[in-house]
Amino acid sequence: MAPQKREKRTLTPEAFGKFLRCLSEDDELAVREYQRIRTKLIRFFLHKGCTDAEDLFDKTVDIVVAKVESCVEYQNPLAYCYGVARNVWHEHTRERKSVTLEVDVASPEHPDPKVHELELQCLDRCLGRLSPGDRDVVTRYHGQHGRDKIQVRRLLADGAGGMNALRVRVHRIRKELRICVVECTKRLLN
Amino acid sequence: MKSNLPDRSLIRENLLGRLDHEKELEEQLSHDICFNDELSEMVEFIEEEIIEDFLDGTLDAADKDAVNTYFLRPPERKEKLRFARLLRNHFEDQHQLVGTVSDTRPSAYTNVVRESSDYRAPIPWWSHFKTYGQLAALIVLCIGSLLYISALQRKEADLESQLAQEREHSASLVKEAPILESSLIPLTLVTDRSRGDDTQIPHIEIKPSTRRIMVDIALQGHSPGPFDVRLETKAGNGPIWSARLLPLVSSSGDTRLVFDLPAQGMESDVYSFLVSSPLPGSGSGKHYDFRVELAH
Repeated sequence: MAPQKREKRTLTPEAFGKFLRCLSEDDELAVREYQRIRTKLIRFFLHKGCTDAEDLFDKTVDIVVAKVESCVEYQNPLAYCYGVARNVWHEHTRERKSVTLEVDVASPEHPDPKVHELELQCLDRCLGRLSPGDRDVVTRYHGQHGRDKIQVRRLLADGAGGMNALRVRVHRIRKELRICVVECTKRLLN
Repeated sequence: MKSNLPDRSLIRENLLGRLDHEKELEEQLSHDICFNDELSEMVEFIEEEIIEDFLDGTLDAADKDAVNTYFLRPPERKEKLRFARLLRNHFEDQHQLVGTVSDTRPSAYTNVVRESSDYRAPIPWWSHFKTYGQLAALIVLCIGSLLYISALQRKEADLESQLAQEREHSASLVKEAPILESSLIPLTLVTDRSRGDDTQIPHIEIKPSTRRIMVDIALQGHSPGPFDVRLETKAGNGPIWSARLLPLVSSSGDTRLVFDLPAQGMESDVYSFLVSSPLPGSGSGKHYDFRVELAH
């Protein structure tokens, strides 16, 4: 997924274990906190337009683990990691070269026809799993063009408590659908 | 909490990479996005909004350029764009597919929407189950109708067959009617022996098909009966047949004995019905003679 070649990580299992222990004494809570930090920082890199958010996160963790001598410095792990992530981003921005888009961004089809077919199947399945209300909203929201679309969305907004509330609802439904389709496609491919 | 959220347009500018050179503002906004879950979701939402605008073609040239050169750099966003496109295509295809159906058969939902606008509602893919259900119901109705028509035709055929049988039966009955008629012969006796002429006594012809003889004897007087009736030969042998009968009395007072008896065993001869009253002191009775001729 990342276009740049990943650098070899210096992180050892022992060092990473130490990092997790600083997040929480409880293993489960430590992993959960790590996932939370990971999600937020990857999102940060994505918001900054980085093409290799996961690599940059790994780099951030490597730096954090290498720098920290004791858990005392981890009073607020997210804040600490975020500070390091920003530095990583700055460094990355300086090194970044202009990137040309590799694929036709307007194409809805996956480059692999088999995957595209699976995605369509999964989309059907995932739509079927939505609640009837959500299905109705997303269908009507996307089902029209031009003037019709405006009128339908206005009607939907009246029922949803305003246009902003409608947009948020549709956003959540689409996100749920997207996650569902991605997971479903992965399952079918495996 | 909501009032502390930054302006949407500012977030949008940030997502399009236009705040990267405004260090302080960018730093504050990025920090807030990272630590405020509500804001983080709002950013995702605006991100999607940019994708929608991009697909709608409603972005101005500068925004479109920013989307192409900055916003769509991360593969994750390209995937989001592709998914949004996939979703749109899906619903548009469904809409086109069902458009012709909804033209002729508006749903309840469509009707509701049409009340307030000229809008033709989309029929979602899953509502095809409704169409399939209607088709299935139509097929079941057609099959049911065919079965019903078939049953009617069978019934009609049965009735026609029965009618034909009845006609045949009627025809056979018509043929048999004379036979039936000939199986029953009438015998009316009005005059008893004391008043009659021996040479002119009534006679009947018994054919091989004759089964019974219908006898009608007009009695003299107005006795209410009952009467003992005995069939004898003229010589007085018998009785061949006997019965105690009540007479039929008309409103004018005529009294008649009407009965039938089997013709079997009767031969060509003169027979007599002896009609008497069982009441004491009523006499020995009257004889009503008749001649039988056996036909061969």
